[in-house]
Amino acid sequence: MVRIPPPALPVRDRRAARALSPMLTRLAEERATGVLVREHGVLYLAEGRVVHAESPLAPDLGVLLTAHGTLAAAAWQRAAARAPDPARAAEALLRSGVLPTGALELCHLDALYDAGYFALAPSGTPGRFRYGAGPRLGPLPSVPVVALERETLRRRLLLHRLWPDPAADSAPLIRADPAPAPAPALPVTPRQRAVLDRVDGVRTAADLARDLGRQAFHTLVDVRRLTAAGRIAPVPADPGPPPAPPPLPVTTDPDIALLKRLRDALEAL
Amino acid sequence: MPGIDECLLEAMRLPGARGAALVDWTSGLALGAVGEAPGGDHETSAAEAAELARLAAEHGTFATVRAGLPPVEDLIVSNGDSYHLLRFVDTSFDSSVFLHLWLGREEGNLALARIRLGEMAARLVLG
Repeated sequence: MVRIPPPALPVRDRRAARALSPMLTRLAEERATGVLVREHGVLYLAEGRVVHAESPLAPDLGVLLTAHGTLAAAAWQRAAARAPDPARAAEALLRSGVLPTGALELCHLDALYDAGYFALAPSGTPGRFRYGAGPRLGPLPSVPVVALERETLRRRLLLHRLWPDPAADSAPLIRADPAPAPAPALPVTPRQRAVLDRVDGVRTAADLARDLGRQAFHTLVDVRRLTAAGRIAPVPADPGPPPAPPPLPVTTDPDIALLKRLRDALEAL
Repeated sequence: MPGIDECLLEAMRLPGARGAALVDWTSGLALGAVGEAPGGDHETSAAEAAELARLAAEHGTFATVRAGLPPVEDLIVSNGDSYHLLRFVDTSFDSSVFLHLWLGREEGNLALARIRLGEMAARLVLG
């Protein structure tokens, strides 16, 4: 039995560390404070460090904490409503003591790296930075810009090694029958099963992550693995209305000889 | 209530502790690290330890299927010079993290470290 082992997790190559956003590098160097708005997400900087990140493609801290009952939805909404910005909502939770410090720090960092991955995704439009006193270094851990950039690059490489086509990251997903392979298919892990069970031809990986209350990047890892195993596939982009069929050919000269041969063959059965 | 850094520093007070880290086994990211790293680099150690943890957590041979239990509790790797203790952290939210403690073999007490690391993992997320 030949099994191809799953690829090893990539290790960050310090020499290859290149800036994903020259603007972000400059902001880190000048220890800027403010909000960087990019096409797929937002980074909150305080003194050049990332204190918070948001992306429509990644579940926020509130989703991660409430999806499995760690925190009551009402408690999150209260904290979010009182805070001047989303970054402060987590601090309010920390102060209130409703969650253990370690759990909150862990979930905060998970959400920051997760949203940061999408915020730093290649974009077609330039980012905008709004200087302002909003974000600040608080009691929750912050991350150096270069650490977020390196981790984002490492995550891109990890996904690329699992399955090089990024189409399944953003398209609605459908279930597929794995093609018969010479080796038995790798078993679906319980975490992958939860993803697979929710694939319905409509939901995207981001929808599945929100549904599961799971980090979007973790979901992408399972989506790429399931795609590589042939168990799911991206729904092809809608090509628009199909072209009008060509007009039926009008003929007054049917192929009599062909019809006769067909009749003879049928009669001979 | 301890945060991530306090938890790792507490692990470092165990006899023989050389290094400790909190690692996400899906991505291979070290969310925190203190002390020495086995290969001299915490990022590389995290990625390699994550690979081992993922194999144990995802394969039926090692993972329990009993509902309500984390798939794996801990992993122990010993070599002629040291012990590696990987303790899975069972969070009430969805995550995939473990504590990695590296112990010198001469001074380290594996049984004690295993008990203490389990307690630290619980306190980290349960308070």
